[in-house]
Amino acid sequence: MSASLRLRNVSVEFPIYSGGSRSLKKLLFNTTTVGNLGRDARDRVTVLALSDLSLDIRHGERLAIIGANGAGKSTLLKVLAGIYAPTGGQMHAEGRVSALLTASVGLNPDATGRENIVTRGMYMDVHPRDMRARVEEIAAFTDLGYYIDMPVRTYSSGMMVRLCFAVATSLRPEILLMDEWLAAGDAGFLAKARQRMEEFVSATSILVLASHSLSLLREWCNRAILLERGRLIAVGAVDEVAEIYASRTG
Amino acid sequence: MAFAASRELDYDGVARLPAAPGRAVLAWRDLAGGWQRRWMWGALAVHDIKLRYRGSLLGPFWLTISTAIMVVAMGVIYPYLFHMNAGRYVPYLAVGLIVWQTLSGIANEGCNTFLGEESVIQQVPVPFSIHAYRCVCRNFLVLGHNLVIVPFGMLVLRLPVDWQIVMFVPGLVLLAINGVWLSILLGMVSARFRDVPPIVTNFIQVVFFLTPVIWPLDALHGPLRSVIVMNPFFAAMDIVRAPLLGVAPAATSWPIMLVTTAVGCGLGFALFARFRTRIAYWV
Repeated sequence: MSASLRLRNVSVEFPIYSGGSRSLKKLLFNTTTVGNLGRDARDRVTVLALSDLSLDIRHGERLAIIGANGAGKSTLLKVLAGIYAPTGGQMHAEGRVSALLTASVGLNPDATGRENIVTRGMYMDVHPRDMRARVEEIAAFTDLGYYIDMPVRTYSSGMMVRLCFAVATSLRPEILLMDEWLAAGDAGFLAKARQRMEEFVSATSILVLASHSLSLLREWCNRAILLERGRLIAVGAVDEVAEIYASRTG
Repeated sequence: MAFAASRELDYDGVARLPAAPGRAVLAWRDLAGGWQRRWMWGALAVHDIKLRYRGSLLGPFWLTISTAIMVVAMGVIYPYLFHMNAGRYVPYLAVGLIVWQTLSGIANEGCNTFLGEESVIQQVPVPFSIHAYRCVCRNFLVLGHNLVIVPFGMLVLRLPVDWQIVMFVPGLVLLAINGVWLSILLGMVSARFRDVPPIVTNFIQVVFFLTPVIWPLDALHGPLRSVIVMNPFFAAMDIVRAPLLGVAPAATSWPIMLVTTAVGCGLGFALFARFRTRIAYWV
């Protein structure tokens, strides 16, 4: 069966547990321009991050998620990745999903780069035995030199991105979900990363990419959706959706 | 391309998705999937211990040495307090402290089962049970290092050994099973209610004094003794300690432990099934 992601009337509602919810509620209601706030049955403040979203993503699609901050882009990626179970509606994924949401997943600052490669591989469901066989190749790609045997604590943020990028793209998932962190890193590495990304993306069945960079989305994607306050506003070609986004944000 | 309400957008005509499995099935799959990935939490637990002792010459054997030092120090005075000879008291204390460290370690670190793995839970979908197995495994690795003292002590004190000593193995298995439900349960409750970890720490401190670890059960008489014997922490300790000391555990210990295991697993599973999907929202 070919890979697919299907959403039916998916909603995600975050309860806010922190104290003083009434004053917090007042504060948020008066100032918010993004997201949706409401109350649930037990009078708790909730944030409606996604609201009644239905969508099918099929084999071969390169989907761009467009939207302002707080529109629900990251939440949608987390739902697709299986991290957040929808609080309403249903999600069905067919195929192996890999999510590159932030750079620092499970990085242990006291462990060396090499050790972190193996640990990260484990979280991606790869046995340490198989991962150790790839460590050299991954380490070579990072260009970190002897830093690969130093604790990650000593790394600059650009070096961390390199490490994470190299590990994350060393596997070949069927469905790839990405947030825009990949844009980080220095120019020299970026060129190298771009080439690797191209191979990587062309090998996946489905790509879902959330970014603010329209040029990036135009280049990588063949379809786009527009989110606004957790609602699906438009679906279509990247340029069309980008135009709608521009007209709505003025 | 047209504007429309999200309801009408992009359906492929299939109104409904195949029904999702029930909560209990998903919770069971989580536990089973985690168990299949023994290599994952095993390696992570080893990694935890290694990192804790990075740069130290003796490494995790500091655990062994710390326990040995404490036992020797207490072994000088305490036998007189309890009118026991040191040859009987020191092994009792040593094994008691070792097992207690495991129990309290699992309870205290159990509160952090999910909170401590926030960055992983928020980024990659691995079975939640992995974190609980890892917590138990880590504490059993510590126990393994500490248990090295036992054969040493037996040689030094020339204690007799008989085959009944192997009964500590089923005791440890039962301890591990209880560790899993306890760290799942405490992990979830702590993620939701952030006051729980300090409460547990204090509770465990109190239980330490109420459980015969440094004092022998025989020092206690009257009705209080029967209450202490019913304490599951005593039962958990007794089923491992007694065989290692070459004595029979209290008649109540195994039954209490079995009931605790059954009730704990039932309660843990019910809450895990009910709230498993909420953990990612809580941490």
